[in-house]
Amino acid sequence: MRDDETRREALAEPQATRPAPKMVEAFEHAAGSIARGVPGGATGFRGVLLHIHVAPAASYEMEELREAECVAGRGIVGDRYFDGTGTYSPKPDTREVTLIEQEALDALARNDPPLQGGAIALAPGDHRRNLTVRGVPLNHLVGRRFRAGEVILRGGRLNFPCKYLEELLGLPVYLPLYNRSGLNCGIESGGVIRPGDAIELLDDADA
Amino acid sequence: MTARMIMKLRVEAAALSTPKVLHLTLVHPIRPELPAWEPGAHVDLRLPDGKIRQYSLCGDSADRRTYEIAIKREDAGRGASRWAHDALAPGAVAHVSAPRSNFRLQEARRHVFVVGGIGVTPALAMARRLAADGADFTVHFCARSEPEAPLLPELRAVCGDRLQTWFSADGRRFDPQLIGPAHDACLYVCGPQRLLDAVRTAAAELGWPEQRICAEAFQATLDENFKPEPFDATLASTAETLHVPADRSLLEVLRDHGITMPSSCELGVCGSCVCGYTEGVVIHRDAALSVADRQDKIATCVSRARVSVTLDL
Repeated sequence: MRDDETRREALAEPQATRPAPKMVEAFEHAAGSIARGVPGGATGFRGVLLHIHVAPAASYEMEELREAECVAGRGIVGDRYFDGTGTYSPKPDTREVTLIEQEALDALARNDPPLQGGAIALAPGDHRRNLTVRGVPLNHLVGRRFRAGEVILRGGRLNFPCKYLEELLGLPVYLPLYNRSGLNCGIESGGVIRPGDAIELLDDADA
Repeated sequence: MTARMIMKLRVEAAALSTPKVLHLTLVHPIRPELPAWEPGAHVDLRLPDGKIRQYSLCGDSADRRTYEIAIKREDAGRGASRWAHDALAPGAVAHVSAPRSNFRLQEARRHVFVVGGIGVTPALAMARRLAADGADFTVHFCARSEPEAPLLPELRAVCGDRLQTWFSADGRRFDPQLIGPAHDACLYVCGPQRLLDAVRTAAAELGWPEQRICAEAFQATLDENFKPEPFDATLASTAETLHVPADRSLLEVLRDHGITMPSSCELGVCGSCVCGYTEGVVIHRDAALSVADRQDKIATCVSRARVSVTLDL
């Protein structure tokens, strides 16, 4: 039996049985709430969105999207953290959208600093962050509002590399990604984003 | 055990190797190369309902573009093979994990394989590597008949006269004494449990040391007479003690307490849920751990303990 019915079944995603995820609002996160009141950080930058990636469920390979719908308070449609099927979904946190700097990936690719055996070239999306950006100082954006295209994001906390990612990739990325693993954000105002969208700071600290 | 990436692979070719065995060639829709693997490794196949089944890779480990698996249709089975045979036509998408190795080629001057039926799958990949390396090896392949022997043309092409076939329909039955003496050799057995038992018995009589025998059961140990007893599991990190009732697995009880172990087959075959233990008498019921590993590791899905165990968690 090789009819269309079974073909569709073969294409179906595993059933998501977990409830919608509980998110910690970015500026209520322990890190974001403190950083919100502390002035400083880069201003006046204009970066660009390079790639959008989502994974349909925990451990699934990331898939690149040409455009993505961001939903305020929830995440990117089609992503495991939007659906509550991510590895860390059972632990409430700020992870509606995660970003990583292309500059950090470039540094890994040139083995800089030389923290591991050699250069690590990560294929796009293998870092498992949703948005790869260039020209955006992510470590400065905890407690800040910024826009990616028409979507307004709030920096909640720095992303932290996990051993799980090392296991998935079979690459020693934990130490080299430390402190440049990107930013976990909440979505203040949703919309559609596309690679090429500009990324700019909206306001400084709430001080 | 480690987490592994799950990929949506495309079925490039699907052919019946025997009336009951579907031989699949899988490719990545975008990446030119799939994760590397060692002969003997297996992948998880994820079903639409979330269930997971393990299949050994039977293709060429030097070919990074494709994975090959062979799936025997088990009409009395749990449904996975029927689904695969019906759904995985060319062009279909199969959700497949990166490979994991529990069964590997060992350093030895001579390699002897005894495989039964669909147990040929890891042996084909291993024999291909040995042939490429110019190693000394023999494969004994047991099946009901030639038309029912999966991947036979492929195995013949790889092994040539190093293959001996034992088809019961022709009145040829494998005599386990044929494995010969142990010196400088490694023995690999994969197939149904009764074949493993027969070969292990003969190997013991012939003086083979346990560590020179690699076996992969194509189902976990079935001991109908086993009667599970309740026991307590203590977590070394917190000194918390969890009670495991007779009708529940250690894996389930750990999960209830928020300790999510990786897990996959939950039959004691794949080794995903293995964790360390430091104290206690463990009743090992898995088919994944070696005798040496059993000194300090436990497969939490099927194995239990007498009275109590301290887990390295």
